[in-house]
Amino acid sequence: MSAMTVGILGGGRWGFALARAAQMAGNRAVVCTRRDTSDRPEGVEVTGEVHVLGARATLIILAVPSNVARPVATTLGDSTTGAHYVVHAVRGLSSEGLLPISAVVRQETPVKRVGALAGPVLAQDLLEGRPSVIAVASHYPEVIDSVKHAIASPSLRVSSSDDIIGTEWASALVGALLVGVGFARELGVSEPLIAGLMVRALREAASMGVAAGGLEKTFYGLAGIGDLMAAMAQQDARPEVAFGQRIARGAKSSQLAVEMGVRIEPIDLVPRVVNFAKQRGLKTPVFETLAAVIEGKGDVHEITAALMRS
Amino acid sequence: MNEPTIFRFNAERRDIVDEVVSRVLAEAKDPLFLLNDAAYNEIRRLEAHAGDERELLVTFRNLARSLGRMGDGERQTKLEQLARMYAWDVAGNFDPKVYRFASKVLPSLVGGLLSPLQTLAGGGPEASLREHLVTQGPTGDITRLAQIGTIVFVPTHLSNFDSVAFGYGLEREHLPPATYGAGKNLFTNPLLSFFMHNLGAYRVDRRIKHVLYKNVLKAYSCVLIERGYHSLFFPGGTRSRSGGVEEKLKLGLAGTGIEAMIRTAQRGRPQKVFFVPATLNYQLTLEARTLIEDWLAEQGRARYIISDDESTQLERVLTLVRKLLLTEGSIVLRFCDPLDPFGNRVTSDGRSIDRRGRTVDPLSYLKRDGRIVMDASRDAQYTRELGESICEEFAKNTVLMSTHLVAGAAFEKLRAAHPKSDLFGLIRHRDEVFVPRQEMSRAVGEIRDRAAELEDRGLIVLGPGVRKRGATELLDEAVRAWSGYHSFPVLTAQGDGYVLADTKLLLYYQNRLVVSGLGFGSARGSLATASGGAARAGQEVAS
Repeated sequence: MSAMTVGILGGGRWGFALARAAQMAGNRAVVCTRRDTSDRPEGVEVTGEVHVLGARATLIILAVPSNVARPVATTLGDSTTGAHYVVHAVRGLSSEGLLPISAVVRQETPVKRVGALAGPVLAQDLLEGRPSVIAVASHYPEVIDSVKHAIASPSLRVSSSDDIIGTEWASALVGALLVGVGFARELGVSEPLIAGLMVRALREAASMGVAAGGLEKTFYGLAGIGDLMAAMAQQDARPEVAFGQRIARGAKSSQLAVEMGVRIEPIDLVPRVVNFAKQRGLKTPVFETLAAVIEGKGDVHEITAALMRS
Repeated sequence: MNEPTIFRFNAERRDIVDEVVSRVLAEAKDPLFLLNDAAYNEIRRLEAHAGDERELLVTFRNLARSLGRMGDGERQTKLEQLARMYAWDVAGNFDPKVYRFASKVLPSLVGGLLSPLQTLAGGGPEASLREHLVTQGPTGDITRLAQIGTIVFVPTHLSNFDSVAFGYGLEREHLPPATYGAGKNLFTNPLLSFFMHNLGAYRVDRRIKHVLYKNVLKAYSCVLIERGYHSLFFPGGTRSRSGGVEEKLKLGLAGTGIEAMIRTAQRGRPQKVFFVPATLNYQLTLEARTLIEDWLAEQGRARYIISDDESTQLERVLTLVRKLLLTEGSIVLRFCDPLDPFGNRVTSDGRSIDRRGRTVDPLSYLKRDGRIVMDASRDAQYTRELGESICEEFAKNTVLMSTHLVAGAAFEKLRAAHPKSDLFGLIRHRDEVFVPRQEMSRAVGEIRDRAAELEDRGLIVLGPGVRKRGATELLDEAVRAWSGYHSFPVLTAQGDGYVLADTKLLLYYQNRLVVSGLGFGSARGSLATASGGAARAGQEVAS
């Protein structure tokens, strides 16, 4: 297959890591960002103009935090047509309602052929070329083919699924669980107990994902359990874990969000998914505990003790 | 205005059949499989019930026996013969003379013969039907679009009366007639066959299940759309059994809209295709009783194809029409905004626009590496998404009338009296619950006010006059409409109130409210098998 140009919208670590993956697969990458990009990987082209992406690439990967996904997608919509594929790499759901980011892309752009990236892969591994694995989901086989062509290489396996809603929910909810992991570790909860809680929480997450229209098995695949295992094994690798730890030390989440300088998706997400579950009569005690922890409600020891009893 | 394409139909018919056959053959990768599949399915069907098709059974038995010995050439010939037989069987007929005659006669026929009271009271018969069937929606835009491309009408489906009402609505709005697939059983129905024959209907035999037949149907539909014949599908597949608005569609034939675009674009003359959803809303449904029985039976997995229902009984049809004519605006045909085959809105000059109002070239969705290509799984997904857009339009454009609101209020009372019962439990409490007139009227008023709120938000439509009329007036109107039409009373007047008599029909009429969240929603979960509901979760998240 001939080399393709992959468009990446978003110049954070994730964006450049994906650009690197495209290079490793023998393709060209153009990253659109307005940030300072002095530490970008060699050979990655950078532009400040979204329309350059639309003109150069058929496949565009959206790699921005969920809270700006909508305005960024609106801008992207002016430079895309029905011929483009847009795949997002956002670990979160839209801040209005609980709309998956793929649905936001469909609302804001003329693009119909959308997909989502998820799974255990770490930005650092992609940047350093260490072998890893990533998941892609789309209802459109040609989108999956295009993503494989774009980033699959001997050092990156791309696993695919057609359950895009399940993948997006799994990816978002695993991020929330990591807050719990950080929190529990800081309190000295044993690893076996944390494992037990996570298994329980994953089941709760799956029940919510199914209610949203996803498949249960997706939560026990790469985008769910795969992502969770990788993040748990990697000490402090994900900001959600560090966030949980600092909450346990008594910090307020609103304050931390500012201090840490990265967006912590679960702060907004967890109370909303708990509400979502309540409306549908789903039992989600672990997520409810997580919401209380994030909102700084109640005594932590009481909360965790209650969880042991329930 | 140009003469509608369908006026040329009879002249083109042989040509169309030839094209269908050659297309089906070109796509037949495995003739042996198609023949085997056809023989197997037809022998099974005909052995169970051959009726007057004994000869056909013999033909297929012979085919099954000799298939193994046949060479490739002979199989090809057999396949062509079968495809041609089916294509001719499907092919409809359109007689402009009959059409012109029917469109003149129909209003007087329906309005005059069936509404003697109105006729006597003055005002021509045609005027009376004009009042009773209300058409709403962007008919001017649709007329323009019909000049630019092929229109595919996709209405909701409640009754066998639908095709008659829809055809009349098109004619009255000066919209071009549409060709449509109608169940073969309707052609044997003595009453309806008059309207079916010669008015552009083509025959779909739902009993035939094999792949070859389905391929013929799809090719036929595709060829018609490519050639600019406006078409009509009931995307729910069959009449809504529950009485609810379709929430999940069978879009096999609607998918041919995309195929038609691709084929014509690849030939260098892309045909634009526009989908126009529409809702057909009745104060009374002709076959309500049979349909809801069937729906309830299906919950116990005892589904059957209805071959004999109220629509075959002339007297019942006459009563229905007379009843419908008692109330102004008792049938509402509401056209929704036109969509392209990808679910985008379409402007009156035929441009597709995305949700942010940008113009988008519909052909761009068909491109891969810059070329327009056919891709069955991609196009099936586009069609599923089109189906979601159509369902959104259906929900927003559902017109609620007094019978629906009163049934909704009555069903709420039934549930309040038996709070622990499930659906089947509730149904069993017929003729038991008494509701004082004042209380019933209050409940009707409440549900109407909630509906009015939804209408203000663009989520539902209230029928003509429903907003203005008092709750008691609505109650009386519904009771009057029901009484005498359905074999048993729906609400029985007793003292100063009503007994909730026919719980099944109350369920049927209140099911129209479910799509907007006003009605008893337990029907929804089980609706997944009848007419939809499975895909709702994602939409709820979105809202």
